[in-house]
Amino acid sequence: MILQQLINGLSLGAVYAVFAVGFTLVFGVLNVLNLSQGAVFMWGAYVGLEMVRTLQLPLPAAMTVAVMAAGLLGVVTEWLVFRPLQRRGAHRWMGMVASLAFARILIGAAQEVFGTQVIRYPDATLVDATLVVGEARIQGLQVVALGVALAMVLALGLLLKFTNFGRAIRTVAFSETVARLVGAPVARVRGATFFLSGTLAGGAGVLWSLLFQSVSPFMGDTILLKGLTVLILGGLGNVAGALVGGLLLGLVEVGSVVAVGSGFRDAVGFGLVLLILLTRPTGLFATREAKRA
Amino acid sequence: MSDLYAAYENVIDLCLLNAVLAFSCLLLLRVNLLSLATGGLMAIGAYLSIWLTMREGWPFGPALLAATGAGALAAAGLGTLVLRLRGDYFAMATLAFTEVVRILALNADPVTGGALGIFGIPKYTQTWQLLALLALAIYLVWALRRSSLGDRMRAIAEDELAVAAAGHDVARLQLGLFTASGAIAGLGGALAAHLNLFVAPSDFGFLRSMDAVIAPVLGGVWNLFGAVVGAAILTVLPEVLRFSAQLREILIGAVTLLAVLFLPTGIASLPRLLLRRGRLA
Repeated sequence: MILQQLINGLSLGAVYAVFAVGFTLVFGVLNVLNLSQGAVFMWGAYVGLEMVRTLQLPLPAAMTVAVMAAGLLGVVTEWLVFRPLQRRGAHRWMGMVASLAFARILIGAAQEVFGTQVIRYPDATLVDATLVVGEARIQGLQVVALGVALAMVLALGLLLKFTNFGRAIRTVAFSETVARLVGAPVARVRGATFFLSGTLAGGAGVLWSLLFQSVSPFMGDTILLKGLTVLILGGLGNVAGALVGGLLLGLVEVGSVVAVGSGFRDAVGFGLVLLILLTRPTGLFATREAKRA
Repeated sequence: MSDLYAAYENVIDLCLLNAVLAFSCLLLLRVNLLSLATGGLMAIGAYLSIWLTMREGWPFGPALLAATGAGALAAAGLGTLVLRLRGDYFAMATLAFTEVVRILALNADPVTGGALGIFGIPKYTQTWQLLALLALAIYLVWALRRSSLGDRMRAIAEDELAVAAAGHDVARLQLGLFTASGAIAGLGGALAAHLNLFVAPSDFGFLRSMDAVIAPVLGGVWNLFGAVVGAAILTVLPEVLRFSAQLREILIGAVTLLAVLFLPTGIASLPRLLLRRGRLA
C-alpha cells in the first residue's frame, strides 16, 4: 500500500519537477515569471500526440520531436515577449502580463487547430507492462515516466555544472553585470535558457499526457499553478530546489488523497506554500536568493 | 440612449464592476505590490452576502456592508501574515490564498453548492449602485493623489527602502492599503454575486485575480482613468468577439500583448501621446 502510493507520488512529482525546473531556470536568468510555460507544456503534449497519431512515429521519436518543438516555442516566447520588454527596461509585472497574454494566444491557437475535446494517446503506443511487488501494482509507464523525468533533470544539471555554456548561464543568473564584464554572451544565454526551459515544459507535457491519458487545450492551466507551487517550495531560481520541491509536492498530494480525500488535493499544495512562506520567507531551500535580497 | 442601455445592460454592469475591482488592485500596484488575492477576497464577500440574503433574510444593504467588512478583515489578517514577503513571493502567497479559498468553497457544499454552484440568486445589484461606487473610487484615488499619502505612495513606488529609511512606516501604509483593497474586493464580490443568477467557485480563481491586475496595467497604473479603460477593454472585447470562441482568445491575447509591448504607460495615455505627436507635426 505504501509502496504503491510512493510510486504514484514519485511519478507524479517527477513530472512536476521537470516542469518546475524549466520554470525556475528562466526565473534564475531573467528574474521574471514566464506564465506562458503552461501553454508550451500543452503544445508539447499535442505535438507528441500528433507525431504518434498522424505520422505513426514510435513514442521515443515522437517525444524528441515534441521536446524540440516546445524548445523552439520557448525561443519564440523570448524573442516576441521578453526581449522587447527587457530592452525597454519594463517593470517586472509587464513580463507576467505579457507572457500570460501570449499563453492565451497559444491556447486559442490550440483550440483552433486541435479542437476543444479531450484526446488520449492510442493504446498501442503505451507501455502496458505491470509489475506486481507484494500488494503494489506498478505500471511500466510510471517507471518509464519517472526515469525519463529524472534523466531530463539530471542532463540539465550536468549541462549547468560542467559545460562552458552551463557556466555562462549560471553567471548570467548570478549577475548580468558580472556576466557582461567577463564576456559571457548574455543575449545568446537568454535565448538558450528559454530553449531549455521550453524543452523541459514540452517533455513534461508528453509525460503528463501519457500518465493521465488526456490531452486538452486547457491542460496547461493546472500545471502552471503546480509549477508556481513547486517554485516557491524550492525557492525562486533554485534548480535543485525545484527538483526536490516537485517530488515533495507529488508525494504530499498523493498522501493527502489517502489522508483527507481527493477534494482537498489541490489545496494541500497551496496550504503548504502559505505555511512555508510564513516560516521561511524565501522558500524551503533558498540560500543565495536570501542573501541577495 | 435608453435603448442602448437596455440592449447592453449586462455588459455595462460588468464593465463597471470590473473597473471597481481594478481599482482595488491599482491601489496596491501603486506601492509595488502585485496582489492575486482579489479572487479569494471576492469569494468571501460573495458567499457571505449570498448566505445572509438567501438564508438569513437580510436586506441587500446590510449584507453588502457585512461583505465589505469581511473582505477588509480577511485582507487585514492575510496582510499581517504575507506583507513581509517581497516581490514575487508576495504575489505567490496571495495566489495561494485565493486558491485555498476556492478549493475550500469547492468542498463546502452546504454553503456554496460545491462545483455545481448556487442557482437562483436574487438580482439586487443595480447599475446606479455600481456607477456610484465607481465614481467614489475615482474620487478617492483623485483625492489620494493630491494628498501627502499620495506623495508617499509615489515615493514607495520609486524606492521603498529610501522611504523606510526616511522614517516613514511603509509596512503600516501597505497594510492599510491592502485592507482597503480587501474591502473593495469583498464588496465587489457581493455585488458580483447578486448581478448574475449563478455563482460557482471557479468564478473566483487565478484567472479572475489575474484579470483584476491586468486591467490597471493595461490601462495605465498612474493614470486616473487607466483602471476604467483597462477594465472596459477587457470586458467589452470578449463580447464583441463573441462570434468565435477560439479567435476571441487569440485576439484578446494579441491586444493585451501589443498594448504591453508598445504602450508602456497604458492605453489611457494614448490620447495624450497622439495629441503630443500631432502638435509636433
